[in-house]
Amino acid sequence: MEDHGSAALGRLLAAMPEAIQATHADLGDATALVDPAAVVEVLRFLRDDADCEFEMLTDLCAVDYLGETPRFEVVYHLYSVTKNHRLRVKARVAEDPCEIATACDLWPSANWMEREVWDLYGIRFTGHPELKRLLLYEDFEGHPLRKDYPKERRQPLVGPRN
Amino acid sequence: MPGRVIKVKRRENLGWLERTYLPMIIAGLAVTARHFFRNLRGFITGNRTTFVVQYPEQQLDFPDSFRGQPVLVQLDNGQPRCVACGLCEFACPTDCISIVPGELEGHGIERYPVAFDIDMSRCMFCGLCEEACPEEAIVMSREVELGKFTRGELIYEKKALLVPESKLKRRLDFLRSEYDREHAPPTPSDATDDA
Amino acid sequence: MSSEPTFLTERPREGPEDDLERDLHTEHQILNMGPSHPATHGTVKFTVELDGETVVDLDVAVGYLHRGFEKECEAGTWYQAIPYTDRLNYNSSILSNLGYCMAVEKLLGLETPERCQWLRVMSSELSRVADHLTRCGAACLEMQAMTPFIYGIEARELVWDLCEMLCGARLTSNYIRIGGVKHGMPKDFARTARANIATIRTLLADFDKVVTRNRIFVDRLKGTGILSKEECIRYAVTGPLLRAAGVPLDVRKAEPYLVYDQIDFDVPIGEVGDNYDRYLVCVEEMHQSLRIVEQCLERLEDLGDGPVNVDDPRVRWPAKGRVFNHMEELIQQFKAVTEGPRVPAGEGYLAIESANGELGFYLVSDGSAVPWKVRCRPPSLINLAPLPLMVRGALLADIIPTFDFVNMIGGECDR
Repeated sequence: MEDHGSAALGRLLAAMPEAIQATHADLGDATALVDPAAVVEVLRFLRDDADCEFEMLTDLCAVDYLGETPRFEVVYHLYSVTKNHRLRVKARVAEDPCEIATACDLWPSANWMEREVWDLYGIRFTGHPELKRLLLYEDFEGHPLRKDYPKERRQPLVGPRN
Repeated sequence: MPGRVIKVKRRENLGWLERTYLPMIIAGLAVTARHFFRNLRGFITGNRTTFVVQYPEQQLDFPDSFRGQPVLVQLDNGQPRCVACGLCEFACPTDCISIVPGELEGHGIERYPVAFDIDMSRCMFCGLCEEACPEEAIVMSREVELGKFTRGELIYEKKALLVPESKLKRRLDFLRSEYDREHAPPTPSDATDDA
Repeated sequence: MSSEPTFLTERPREGPEDDLERDLHTEHQILNMGPSHPATHGTVKFTVELDGETVVDLDVAVGYLHRGFEKECEAGTWYQAIPYTDRLNYNSSILSNLGYCMAVEKLLGLETPERCQWLRVMSSELSRVADHLTRCGAACLEMQAMTPFIYGIEARELVWDLCEMLCGARLTSNYIRIGGVKHGMPKDFARTARANIATIRTLLADFDKVVTRNRIFVDRLKGTGILSKEECIRYAVTGPLLRAAGVPLDVRKAEPYLVYDQIDFDVPIGEVGDNYDRYLVCVEEMHQSLRIVEQCLERLEDLGDGPVNVDDPRVRWPAKGRVFNHMEELIQQFKAVTEGPRVPAGEGYLAIESANGELGFYLVSDGSAVPWKVRCRPPSLINLAPLPLMVRGALLADIIPTFDFVNMIGGECDR
């Protein structure tokens, strides 16, 4: 896999050095760990800059690193259709307050993916137009993809085992 | 290899004749009639071209690689070939296999499963148990008719799972044919360590 | 979504209070479509706000088929997740297998043998044909055209016969392995495949004759469900929907994986981005996929018989023929099954072109034998999100073909 995103990553590092906490390009995936407070500015820069032009937010997900602080990590995968390169932007989110600014204003595709992350991880996206559960139902208790949610746990609206 | 980008040809502008539906009715009837007569000829000559089979009476023949219900291979003496090593239990993604191992006095196979249950309501026929088995003892049969009225009936015990080796010949032959495809052993074939 | 779905808002009364002079009071109607509606293949619920027959707004509720795929993957070894990927997009399960296994291989840094790569391309293209046939056939069915549906399903049956020969199952293929495929090409596969492809082509021609210039079909597809190029990109819509809008983006061309750079195939694009374009793009893609399958068959016949797995003891279960008779391989087999492959710590995202668009897998490993995180980027879900945009202002009946060509597959969308 060729390393396409390094140029964009270098451009980002040059433009906003204070917001970038770490970078790596392991396995050919250019990655930037950014300050959660500045994530929207970074994403906006990446979308609008002429050398980056990430018009597409391909994927948005979260990872639960239980035991580490900050506990969660929100991962944005960006893709540029015109430049054909990818970049991964990550931001750490603490357990309390478990929130980060929304990217809905930049890309409408973030809407459902943020709802999914809220649903499964309980990370609140501030400024999201309608942050409600996407895959599970409203009465569901807890956020199942958190590592401390037991796999065997039964929910009130789910019927008995047999 | 550089491929081209082709623009699909939109054929949406219909003439007045086509807007009367008539040409499409005739064309549609021609296509369906051709299919009808082809199927009819197949029906009469017995060389059927349709996919519909009269199911309980007629049965499809599955290809060699077909994965059906997992079963235990029964040796000629009535005992399972299984040595209750538990690898299939480990490999199973849905934890539908449960084994209670036991030991036999005497020669030959020393370990055997005292109990071997497969919960068919959880089994997803993935075949990982068969791949994991170091003894060719659990294989995917060609059995697919597993409809039951209660979930309890779907827990198959050892007795229900045992199938004589002769009935599983096709599957075993297929599996053995795949061994030839595998990588050559790292060392030239030496005498078998433990026969 | 631009407008919030607060339905049934109180409308201010206008004009004089005299009943005779006041306009007739009308209000919008709320219609529930689904979750099990006969004209939507897939369990999804639409709450449609209607003004007469015009769709004012639409709210999509997904998740009826949520089975916790990602949670389940975090409980087993890397190997044990492969059968679950079959259940993502059950029309083209091999593609989901492929995406997951290639992502794991990326973390492991594995290079698969050439024969395996051609087999993977061939099987994934067969899957793509099956998926597009389902999409086009079911769309016809839901527009009350039974005959083309039957032709499409007949062709799909032929594809699935081939899948069954190759993988041992029609839908739940479980074919691709980490570092290889389950087994090689059966002896008479190439012959059967060529015969079936010829039949599929005649069926596609019949399909084309019956629907493409049919006035009912054209009237219902033309100009409905339009999503412009810019909107597609903003909503991260990929696959045939994006190509129908005129963007020639195909992961197979943009970032060639496997042996796609050695294969001759074209990328069809549309111009308007309506359902008619989507139909035409899908049909053309099927023809291209059949071309790819033929090229793969030729190449595989040249390559002959041989190993289809990478020779790496980290991931490959040892040769069965040796396991039965050799202590060393037996121990290795025990280790391989009980522990599973250990994947070096790290993260990786790998995208492949599935039938619905970019299917990505983002994997995080902590260095152990159990995945820390398996994220599937489901093209179905992401393509479904702009559905309200596509049908707003259209007629109620336009929801059906639009939803059909979005081709939301419940298993993949809800995971």
